[in-house]
Amino acid sequence: MRFVPASTWAPRYVGSVVAYCWRCWRHRMMIWLATAVAVGAVLSLAVAAELFLVLASRSLAYQARTASEFQVFLSDGAQASQVSQLESQITDLPGVKSVSYRSKQQALAIARQDPTLARMAQYTQNNPFPASLVVQLADPAAASRVTAVAVKDPATDPQIPTSYTPGQGDKLSGFLSLARGLVVGIAVAALGVASLVAVVLLRSEIRARRPELRILVLVGTPRLVIRLPVLAEACSLAVAGSLLATLTLSAMGTRVVPVINSYLPFLQLGNPTNSMALLSVLTLASSVLTLGFCSLMVRLPR
Amino acid sequence: MPELARRFGGWYRKLGVPAPGSIQLRNVTAGYGGINVFSDLALDVRPGEFVYLVGPSGAGKSTLLKVLYGTVRPRRGSVFVDGVAVHRLHSWQTGKIRRRVGCIFQEFELLAHLTALENVLLPLQLAHPRIHDPQAYALDALELVGLKDKANEYPQTLSGGQQQRVAIARAIAHQPRILLADEPTGNVDSRTSSEIMELFHQLNELGGTVVMATHDEYVLSRFPARTIELQPGLLEAA
Ligand SMILES: Nc1ncnc2c1ncn2[C@@H]1O[C@H](COP(=O)(O)OP(=O)(O)OP(=O)(O)O)[C@@H](O)[C@H]1O
Ligand SMILES: [Mg+2]
Repeated sequence: MRFVPASTWAPRYVGSVVAYCWRCWRHRMMIWLATAVAVGAVLSLAVAAELFLVLASRSLAYQARTASEFQVFLSDGAQASQVSQLESQITDLPGVKSVSYRSKQQALAIARQDPTLARMAQYTQNNPFPASLVVQLADPAAASRVTAVAVKDPATDPQIPTSYTPGQGDKLSGFLSLARGLVVGIAVAALGVASLVAVVLLRSEIRARRPELRILVLVGTPRLVIRLPVLAEACSLAVAGSLLATLTLSAMGTRVVPVINSYLPFLQLGNPTNSMALLSVLTLASSVLTLGFCSLMVRLPR
Repeated sequence: MPELARRFGGWYRKLGVPAPGSIQLRNVTAGYGGINVFSDLALDVRPGEFVYLVGPSGAGKSTLLKVLYGTVRPRRGSVFVDGVAVHRLHSWQTGKIRRRVGCIFQEFELLAHLTALENVLLPLQLAHPRIHDPQAYALDALELVGLKDKANEYPQTLSGGQQQRVAIARAIAHQPRILLADEPTGNVDSRTSSEIMELFHQLNELGGTVVMATHDEYVLSRFPARTIELQPGLLEAA
């Protein structure tokens, strides 16, 4: 019996195994295609929903960050001494980082930059924006303490004393964590459904090929080699499905998001490019891992 | 040299590993589900020996062969085949023994969607990647069993005896030291069965160990060899 050296048998062996995988797969091309489309549809739905959730939660996170900036509005008739007294009073409160004075002119200038206020700032004759004390909060709970001090002070605007009520801040952060939970939840559910679809295919494949797998085990084929076509099929499904999902994602990002941004500017979805790239890579990696793992769960006979 | 041989002999004894080409069973109990097919079986087959396993249907001939190639894991006892401790193999390691021995199964176990040649070739390619020219080995094996002209036919177009011979070609293509055959003459006429037995005896004369289950009286009388009789009714609750 003649043997070949390791340097030649290894590449030749890879060739044999690939040829074997190809032969297994060739007969199942149509079923594979249908399953790939199903997996792709599930993943597409999921990434589309996730794109909006990611963009919305990013916008919310930005708003929450600016919400740690809390304003105490001053009445137009407030004296400078009253204002500085209120300022030092607020500075002494626990949970307050810093306090600074913002004049009416500064408030108008800022409003001109803000997409939602710009129109109002443009067409108004006399400046409607009040002077304020801008309070940086270290702890959102401090907002209620600041409000308590502010409402009693004669320098504050009696109608709208502060920029938001503490309850609104809590609601914002609650909504933010809900949105983040939804992103993770949808991702997990989509992966679950996609794996289910793929596992049904893989199981049907294993069932159809059970006699063959048993014979290959009987003649001493290494188990890894026997599993390889199934593993390759699972991974190719994951890659094809993710590719479809990425196409959907780029269509959403380049067509739908700009439309939403122009019609509903208050949603402030922003630029989706980074989120799209991240979502595609995550979808690809997680679906390959999940489907690959599922294919390895299939039992072979002894 | 004697010193080296002495040292190696001592080494084998110390490990308790029987020599390559031999089969050794000690206190082997095996069965399925709630029953034992045989218990406390002991068997020694020396390298190069020819052994028949005989006994009526259901006596456990196939089960004993399955213990030897690792499909049935014994409940107790030790099984050494070609120096491999088969009783210790986990299900993912059974390929280790099957690549060393040649197996002919009672139900042929041919792949229906592959031709005769591919049936012999695929195991060579996937399980014996270091063999130099697998195609030539597969064709040689088919020629030995007289089926070279049927190399490109599919199993369903072959007769039972021809399928049997493809299975034999697959078992001997990698030139194993031990051949385990389960009723290899069960489906063939007396002429073909003589040819098959002559082939087995040739392999045996070249130094191969053969263990063959049969209840073919013709074969037993024409090709006498050591015979081990398995008794039915040894079946007992596990
Ligand atoms: N997979 C199995 N599951 C459960 N019982 C089995 C299984 N295979 C065999 N048996 C039982 O084990 C006993 C021995 O079977 P075995 O196939 O070893 O007999 P045998 O001597 O090869 O018979 P034959 O000459 O008909 O091939 C029988 O009683 C059979 O019913
Ligand atoms: Mg039998």
